[in-house]
Amino acid sequence: MIELLKVPSLLTVQDSGRKGYRKLGVPVSGYMDDYSARIANYLVGNPGDAPLLEFLLTGPTLRFNASAVFAVAGDVDLKLNGLPIEPWESHWAKRGDVLEVGTLRSGLYGYIAFAGGIKCEKLLGSCSTYSRANLGRPLRAGDRLTLGYAILTGREGRYLPGELRPDYSGNEREIRVVLGPNLEHFTEEGIETFLSETYTVTPESDRMGYRLDGPTVGHSPLGADIVTEPLVPGAVQVPANGKPIVMMRDAQTTGGYAKIATVISTDLHLLAQSRPGTRVRFKPVNVGEAQKILRRREKTLEAIKAFLGGEMRAYKVKVSGKEFTAFAGKVKY
Amino acid sequence: MKPELKPAGDSALLISFGETIDEEINERVHAIARAIEKAGFEWLVETVPAYSSLLVIYDPLKVTYAQVEASIKPLLNAEGSAFEGRLVKIPVVYGGKYGPDIEFVAKHNGLTVDDVIEIHSRPVYRVYFLGFLPGFAYLGGMDERIATPRLEKPRLKVPAGSVGIAGKQTGIYPLESPGGWRLIGRTPLRLFNPAKEPPTLLQPGDRVKFVPIDESGFRELYGKQ
Repeated sequence: MIELLKVPSLLTVQDSGRKGYRKLGVPVSGYMDDYSARIANYLVGNPGDAPLLEFLLTGPTLRFNASAVFAVAGDVDLKLNGLPIEPWESHWAKRGDVLEVGTLRSGLYGYIAFAGGIKCEKLLGSCSTYSRANLGRPLRAGDRLTLGYAILTGREGRYLPGELRPDYSGNEREIRVVLGPNLEHFTEEGIETFLSETYTVTPESDRMGYRLDGPTVGHSPLGADIVTEPLVPGAVQVPANGKPIVMMRDAQTTGGYAKIATVISTDLHLLAQSRPGTRVRFKPVNVGEAQKILRRREKTLEAIKAFLGGEMRAYKVKVSGKEFTAFAGKVKY
Repeated sequence: MKPELKPAGDSALLISFGETIDEEINERVHAIARAIEKAGFEWLVETVPAYSSLLVIYDPLKVTYAQVEASIKPLLNAEGSAFEGRLVKIPVVYGGKYGPDIEFVAKHNGLTVDDVIEIHSRPVYRVYFLGFLPGFAYLGGMDERIATPRLEKPRLKVPAGSVGIAGKQTGIYPLESPGGWRLIGRTPLRLFNPAKEPPTLLQPGDRVKFVPIDESGFRELYGKQ
C-alpha cells in the first residue's frame, strides 16, 4: 500500500481511458501524455495501459507501506529517503521508504508507475479520473492506494537511455494536423493563417482543452457555429473570436464550433506537455501519413518495451553526427 | 439522401448528412450506428451519433482509413426504426440567477421574458442524442422564435442543471462545465449518476416536457434523478 503524504498539485489516477461510453456523452479521459505514461508502465514491467499516477507540474510525496517497484517519467528531481534517484529508471522501495517527487523542469505532466499497477474501482470500464462527472476524484494527502499483484523480482534497474526520453524543453513546437472536417466554414486566408502563423498556449488550458492565442482564423460566410457534431481529442475548434481551442483527453464528445483540423495521435502529447506561453505551429499531413507515423511510433514503443523487458538490446548509432538508439536481436532465454 | 464520408483526424471517420436537424435523418444516423456496431468489425472502437452525423472511431493500428470507408459504405442504407421513448417531465426555474441570458434571448427575438418561458415550455421535445458531457441530451423541436446564437467566447463555468439555447437547439447541462450556450433557466434534477445503470436520466428517443417551477420547488427537488 502507498500513502500520499503531500499532494501539491493536481494528482489523478489515469489509464488509457474510457471506451464505449462516448455515445452517452462520457469523455475518453486517460493520460494526457500517452508516450511518457506507457514508458513509465513498461519500466516497471506493466502493460502500457495499467493505471498509474499523473501529476501536474509538481509531484507528490508518498510513503510505501509495503515493498514495491516504481518508476517516474518526467524531467524531474526525485528523492528516496532524502537521497537523489533518477527518473526514467525503475527502483525498488521497501516498507517505510518515502519518495519525494519535485517539480518538472520541462513539460506539464509527469507519471509515477508501480509494478502491478494501482488497484482501483473501474467506473464505466476505466480507472481514469474524470472528476467533473464524479468518475473518480483528484487525490489528496492522506489517501491510500493499493497496488495490484506483481512479482517483484528483476524489475528494478530498468533504465531508458536519454535519447529515447521525450524532450519537452524549449518553448516552440511543430504540431502536425489532419485538416478538416469542417473546412467549408473557413476562408482560404483563414486556413492559410492557421497553418502559417504561430499560436501561443494560454493559461486557460486544462485536461479538457487548450486555448490558443494568435492571429484570428477567419470564418467563411457559413460562420463559426455548426450543427453539433461528434468530435475526438485533438480536434481544433475555432469559435467566433477566431482563436483555436484544441480538445484534449477530457474533451466533450460533441461540439458546436467548426473544426479546422485534428492534431494527429502521435503529436497530441507534445501539445499536452506545452506550458502556457509555448508557441505552436501547425503543419498539415494527410490521413495516410498520420497513420504511417503512428505505426512507426508504435513499433518504437514496442521496441522500447522489449528492451526494458530485457528481450532486446539497444545500440548507439551515429548518423551524420546525431546519436540514435537502434534495437536489435531478440534475446533468447 | 447520400451522406458524405470524411476523416476526423487519423482514428475517426465522420459520416455527415449535412448540417440539418431532422427527425428522419437522425433516425437514419442511429440505424447506421446500430448496423456498424452489429457488424463486429475488429477495428471498431465505438460510434458516436449526433443530429445528422455519426463518428466512427477505429483503431488505426488495425486498419487504414480507406478500409474503414470501404467496410462502412454497404451499411449506409440501413433502415431507421422509430424509438419508443418515455415522456420525462423536467421542472425548470426560468430567468433570474438561474437563467442569466433569458433577457438577451427575449430582446434578440423581440419578445418578452414571459413569451420566452411560454414558447420554451410548451413543446414536447425529442432526445436526438447524448453528447458534449455525460448525460447531456440534445433536444429536437424547439420553436425557432426563440433561436439565439451562442456566446462569442464560451463561459468557463456553467452550473449543473442549466437549461440553455444555442441557435435552434435547447438542452440541459448535466454537470458544471465550460460552455457557450445562452442560459435561460435551471432544473434541480440530476441528469448523470455513474452509480446508476443506465447512468443517464435521459436516453435517445425519450420525449421531454419542461415544466416551469418557482425557487421553492427547485429546493424541494434538488439533487433527485
